[in-house]
Amino acid sequence: MSEAGAPVLELANLSKTYARRSGGVKAVRDVSLGVGAGEVYGFLGPNGAGKSTTIRILIGLIAPTAGTVKLFGRDLAAEPSVLRRVGSLVDGGAFYPFLSGRRNLEVLARTHGGGGERIDALLDQVGLATDAKRKVKGYSTGMRQRLGVAAALLNDPEMVILDEPVNGLDVAGIQEMRRLIRSLAADHGKTVFLSSHLLSEVQQVCDRVAIIHKGEVVRESTVAGLLDQDSAGLRIEATPVEAAAAALSPHWPVQRHGETLTIVAARAEAPEIARRLIEAGVQLFELAPVQRNLEDVFLAITQAEPADA
Amino acid sequence: MRDAIAAELLKFRDHRATWGLVWIWPLGLIVIWLLAIGVDLANGGGGEGKGAASAAGWIADSVGFWNVPAHPIGRYLIGAFVAVVFAGEYGWNTWKLVVPHRARSSLIAAKYAVALALLAIGFTLAALLFSGFGWLEDVVTGDPIPAGITAAALFNAHAVGALAAAAPVLLTAAYVSLAAILTRSTVGALVIGLVITTLEQLFRSFAPMLEPFAPGLVGTLYQALPGYHLANLGHWLEAGRALAIPFPSGPFSMSPAASLAIAAAWIAALTALTFRSFRRQDIN
Repeated sequence: MSEAGAPVLELANLSKTYARRSGGVKAVRDVSLGVGAGEVYGFLGPNGAGKSTTIRILIGLIAPTAGTVKLFGRDLAAEPSVLRRVGSLVDGGAFYPFLSGRRNLEVLARTHGGGGERIDALLDQVGLATDAKRKVKGYSTGMRQRLGVAAALLNDPEMVILDEPVNGLDVAGIQEMRRLIRSLAADHGKTVFLSSHLLSEVQQVCDRVAIIHKGEVVRESTVAGLLDQDSAGLRIEATPVEAAAAALSPHWPVQRHGETLTIVAARAEAPEIARRLIEAGVQLFELAPVQRNLEDVFLAITQAEPADA
Repeated sequence: MRDAIAAELLKFRDHRATWGLVWIWPLGLIVIWLLAIGVDLANGGGGEGKGAASAAGWIADSVGFWNVPAHPIGRYLIGAFVAVVFAGEYGWNTWKLVVPHRARSSLIAAKYAVALALLAIGFTLAALLFSGFGWLEDVVTGDPIPAGITAAALFNAHAVGALAAAAPVLLTAAYVSLAAILTRSTVGALVIGLVITTLEQLFRSFAPMLEPFAPGLVGTLYQALPGYHLANLGHWLEAGRALAIPFPSGPFSMSPAASLAIAAAWIAALTALTFRSFRRQDIN
């Protein structure tokens, strides 16, 4: 286990610049974040935001230009063997196409130096027991993805890194993957670092999220905190609605939608709004934050960020 | 390390490239010799035979297969196999599956170990079959087998043949493995290996003709490049003396020890570059 209190994963000022003839391309800029033990941490970003580059850095496939990666309190650059405590699924599970699913896991177990005894149980767990002897080149995308999860869990890792794990899965597969991810943390105590651009998935399974945009982490928060912080405003149902609009419009931007109003204001301002409405003689029936989902928040954040790439 | 080699062996022991580029030698020999014996028998047998009157000549003929790995065609096929072993991981996109779990240097070392071990097994089997079928052909067709052939003499001849083949095989593997890591492409590695091997052979053959145009440069390149040294080592192992190449300015010859040192330096430098390049490589 990691040292008491230390995050399982710490990225500090991580940067990656790819050399190009036309000048360097900064794929990751000064990314810092921490993931605690047992957390399911979401890493969100649109395509090309730097998610995959960051994940490749933290599993040792790419060397960072600057910054450090610490896993279980140990510097990855100095002690790459710490990756033996990590399982990963990158690029939908790339496998040797000419080998069977089972043989692929055997190769991986040999490479790890252990885990061979778990192969049958894992194949069963991901629903590939009956297809284990088929060559991977005949597998569907979903089957490869599930084999990828089995591969990521082969060495019974303390931390699992999943890069876009639901890509290519059908609805049933997505539900199964969601259940599996939750179970990894809840039942097996594993830390999960999950990258995705499917926000509904992240919203349902993650404890905390970081949003990366143009190589930079632009927000890091709990999912609930993110939804609260980035509230779209407050919805008001009051009568007469014209009087309510007149009382509030000098202080906040007000939009009327039929018999309700939406005002751009923070949740903390709700008591002040209620006081002004009552002082104006308006009957107040409802005053509540406008409920947004992570997708709305994500779009608001990424579209609002300056395009300084 | 043993686990890394076992993993590599699991990947390649049944791979199509291993069948087509390694096991093809012993299997191909079986087919060719069976056909040859059949043709001899169809022609009435007891034909011209090998024409080897002495035991030494018969033994030299029977270990002739060891010339194949050092021949350019043999080296092209060796290069193709090494290209698949080293560059295949880029094509299958599988480096990211294994790199996080094992030191990069041990992954590359395991690839060298398995590629060279499979080639050694394939060539040794083929060489032994070549000897065995030579004997069988003489027995079946009634050609006389000279007296004085001993198992020890035959073993020594195989050992010398294997040693003479070792340097070209190792150098080819070194060229192609480096090309595989740098190009990240099986075809790229194969083409580069093929071109370099061909240029190496061409320069060794045509340097005497080029010498009058640039004597200093040609002489220096002839000494520094590995082509002559591979041939010199093979010649020394088989004939017991250094190989002298007639140049317009006089015969060129170097001691086998110097040739061994230069060939070893090339192999070591290319192999070290392969390890270094892979250690520093970003795997996207």
